[in-house]
Amino acid sequence: MKLLNEIWRSIVRRDPLSTDKGKSELVFLNVWLHIHPAKVKKEHMKFRHTYYLGFITFFLFLILVTTGIALMCYYRPYPSQAYQDMKDLQFVVFLGPFLRGMHRWAAHGMVICVFLHMCRVFYTASYKKPRQFNWVVGVVLLLLTLGLSFTGYLLPWDQLAYWAITVGTNIGSYAPMVGGQLRELLLGGHSVGEGALIRFYVLHVAVLPAAMILLTIVHFWRVRKDGGLSRPIWTLKRKPAEQLVTIGAPAAVEPLRTVPASSSKTYGLMEVVTGEPIFETISPEEEDDAVFAYPFAFFREGLALMVTVTTVMAVSLLFRAPLEEMANPARTPNPAKAPWYFLGLQELVSHSALLGGVVAPTVMVLALLAIPYIDRNLSRRPGDRKWAIWLFTGFAIVNLVLIIIGTFFRGPGWAFVPPWVHVVPGAE
Amino acid sequence: MGRRLPQIFFLLSLLALGLLLAALWQASTPGWKDYQHAFFQLEAQGEPNAVTKAAVLATPPEIHQIMLPGLQRVDRCTTCHLGVDDPTMKNAPEPFRYHQGLGPHVASKFGCTICHGGQGLATTVKDAHGDVQFWETPLLAREYIRASCGRCHKEGDVPGVPELTEGRQLFEANGCHGCHKLNGVGGSIGPDLSEEGASHRSPEWLLHHFLAPSQVSPGSVMPNYHFTPQQARSLTYYMLSLTNQDMGTYYSSLRLIPSAAFGRELFVEKNCIACHSIGGVGAKAGPDLLGVTKRHSLEWLDEQLVNPDQVYPGSSMPQYDLETNQRKALVAFMEAATTLDAQAILEHREHLLTPEDAAIEAGKRDFARFGCAGCHGTELQGGLPNPNAQGGQVPSLLHLADDYTKEEVLAVVRDGRTPPLDNAKGQAPPLYMPAWKQVLSDEDIHQLVEFLWSRQKKAKDSW
Amino acid sequence: MNRRSFIGWGGAGVGALVAGVGVSLAAVVRYLVPDVFYEPPQSFKIGDPADFPFGQPTFLADEKIYVFRDREKGFAAASAVCTHLGCTVKHFDSDNRFHCPCHGSVFAADGSVVHGPAPRPLQWFEVTLTRDGQLRVDKDKAVPSSYRLMV
Repeated sequence: MKLLNEIWRSIVRRDPLSTDKGKSELVFLNVWLHIHPAKVKKEHMKFRHTYYLGFITFFLFLILVTTGIALMCYYRPYPSQAYQDMKDLQFVVFLGPFLRGMHRWAAHGMVICVFLHMCRVFYTASYKKPRQFNWVVGVVLLLLTLGLSFTGYLLPWDQLAYWAITVGTNIGSYAPMVGGQLRELLLGGHSVGEGALIRFYVLHVAVLPAAMILLTIVHFWRVRKDGGLSRPIWTLKRKPAEQLVTIGAPAAVEPLRTVPASSSKTYGLMEVVTGEPIFETISPEEEDDAVFAYPFAFFREGLALMVTVTTVMAVSLLFRAPLEEMANPARTPNPAKAPWYFLGLQELVSHSALLGGVVAPTVMVLALLAIPYIDRNLSRRPGDRKWAIWLFTGFAIVNLVLIIIGTFFRGPGWAFVPPWVHVVPGAE
Repeated sequence: MGRRLPQIFFLLSLLALGLLLAALWQASTPGWKDYQHAFFQLEAQGEPNAVTKAAVLATPPEIHQIMLPGLQRVDRCTTCHLGVDDPTMKNAPEPFRYHQGLGPHVASKFGCTICHGGQGLATTVKDAHGDVQFWETPLLAREYIRASCGRCHKEGDVPGVPELTEGRQLFEANGCHGCHKLNGVGGSIGPDLSEEGASHRSPEWLLHHFLAPSQVSPGSVMPNYHFTPQQARSLTYYMLSLTNQDMGTYYSSLRLIPSAAFGRELFVEKNCIACHSIGGVGAKAGPDLLGVTKRHSLEWLDEQLVNPDQVYPGSSMPQYDLETNQRKALVAFMEAATTLDAQAILEHREHLLTPEDAAIEAGKRDFARFGCAGCHGTELQGGLPNPNAQGGQVPSLLHLADDYTKEEVLAVVRDGRTPPLDNAKGQAPPLYMPAWKQVLSDEDIHQLVEFLWSRQKKAKDSW
Repeated sequence: MNRRSFIGWGGAGVGALVAGVGVSLAAVVRYLVPDVFYEPPQSFKIGDPADFPFGQPTFLADEKIYVFRDREKGFAAASAVCTHLGCTVKHFDSDNRFHCPCHGSVFAADGSVVHGPAPRPLQWFEVTLTRDGQLRVDKDKAVPSSYRLMV
């Protein structure tokens, strides 16, 4: 018995969870959990503020990694085998259709949630100082998500996959000077073929997930260091501080500043030297509103995980992931459409290849990256930033409308055909 | 809400567990297992004693798969169609019934989908039968099933499927090549037909298309050839047989059916009558072949065809590079051949052609082979509607000599010609004369023109 | 909600989760077990009984088996794979034994090891007659060396 106790104690070295010390140690002594603060303020976990979209996106990513690894046991990335393996997953492998479905629906879900998360971060102005760089990291994560989805799209090697990637890489080739070469580098050839399939596979299972994981680590780390999860700071009651403290160095560039003192917070040397508080603080009293991460935060995160997993499972059970005919380079479907999240782009390209395919998306991405540095308004209150909100909403709606047009209103030959008009397919 | 959270968490966990169990249940109860259990019940009924009955009923259900690398497919139909090779299941209900009349085409060597269509990789009924949106070759209806014989047996007659031969002949005779490419040969006015058998077009569609093209294909310029229902049926068979089956060597060497008719074709093609006689009719250089199969064994005759020198050292019979089934066909022909055959073959050869006649014959062959008849008619009469072309129709070729020199006609055939427009602002006419210089050599074109000139009607005849 | 009911519901939730994790692990293992094999099948037809001669065994190279036909007792099929390290053994009529070329194992006519590094006798497989009159060998069903199928 004593031996068992000794073994247990060598693994679990914290105090029991019934104690405050134990609850803290669960967080900061645990390698998987110590990204969390030992204590959080309740408003960090406010559902109506973040909708837990960041968590949900991350959990979808975890689902994608686990189902993806499972699928790798049965999928061979060569044109002669890939399609047959997809059929095998559908008809022969135990839980094959379920796992494949989970992977596909989680992928669509992740693209949607990453976009919604970005919108939420914008609307709550959580990109403002000191979180500007984290927004930039987030935009890169968004591009990585789209890249993962795009590379994965080719792998089933059906008509949808083949032609979507043909269209997508052709859009990319319009980039000036490097476009053509970039396309050939991606494809490992002049057209989509076995070179493209193996390269996209390597990108999809190794390169892009590694980049995604590395940047996610940075993203989470940044959240902590920038002051924790976003909270609606402008709605919180400000209690008058009893004590104010002046910080800053007399000879510093920045003028001296007066901030409320915190009784339990000590100012680090770097804060005294730079004159900037690193963490957001309101008042000493609010420090006491903090609750332990275990169980308050973990419980809510766990709920978000359950909702995500359950939803993905339910959708997989109800809806079969699509698979069209095998890729046929000799027969182009009419119309040939890019994956849905690129359809807005394809719609733009149909009007002007250079403007729509290169200029517009580049400008969009650069604009997104620049937002935290362009926005000079220090306030996070929605009432103070009506312009920004309207602009961003407009941007989001334009994107949505373009995607809707590309999905539902474009028929054979990219002609404008409302979805309620039935088009007779022409003789091939 | 905060109070309710543990309850919601519990419910969600239960839901997650429930969904997982539902997924597991779904994965463990595929439809094919039920079919297999039903089959084992059926099999058990035929077992003599309780021990063997129990053994059969205890067979673990599993997916049956026939791998056919030579046919580039994998068929899993026998997972449910378990009685296909079991003669005791002659009267069993489907899907367990025994497949009669297969001959050499056993399931273990040929699978099922090569003839029947459908999706061999699937294990659910609708998907396996190809009855789903994205599968190009659904199950072929029973009345058309013999059309798939032509998917492998592309040369010679197929015994029991006269529709294929008739369809092939109609296709050649009506010059369909002129508008439709088939295996690289033909025009581009209509769609390429090389894979028509795998195009998801139903046999009914094809049938109606041959009987009334513009009704089925709106806007099509294909004229109505006024085929009889029987002819349309034969053409449909031929269309259904058009797939690009890439067969491994095992299959491609066996697809030639060793029938006597095929043997006769080969006998003529290799010109055996040049040295041999049948019943005294023919040449005397080699032995007479009447009744040869009674004098020698089949193996001996086969060896003779492979290596004539070995059997008769010093023989001047050349070595023909014949496949197994071609040799079998020749032997089959020799078994049945009579003097009448020899006479017919000789007569056909006796027409020694002058060089001019030879050119005209060659031109006539090319006229049919390259589908000129498709637009200009089998009697060169023209008449096909060509909207907005001057004259409104494809011209007749019977009065070329009135308006053109031979050189001018040669140039048109070589370089092609778009017909002059009736209304300059109107749409271009759908039919045009293609340029044949890429396909036909100058000599071929010369022979074609000789053929055309041999058919010219004199000017005074046209009055 | 008081602490007790929190622990009650929360605990039940955790229990369901743990059960879920356990079931998931079992499901993953089952998922990894292949349901079809892209290999020659373990059970296959070898042809008409009349095609097999009496006396010397017939060697089937692709399936790596020897088929025996005895006038009194009937058909038997033995594996041609040496039980030492997997080389293909060869049957010699001179001594009616199987010799392995790799390390010199010798098996008697009934498959037992005469000498050599082989640890186990050669395996004998079940031979049955199908309903369309063909012989079927099932490599998944091992039988004793005395097994014969009388046709």
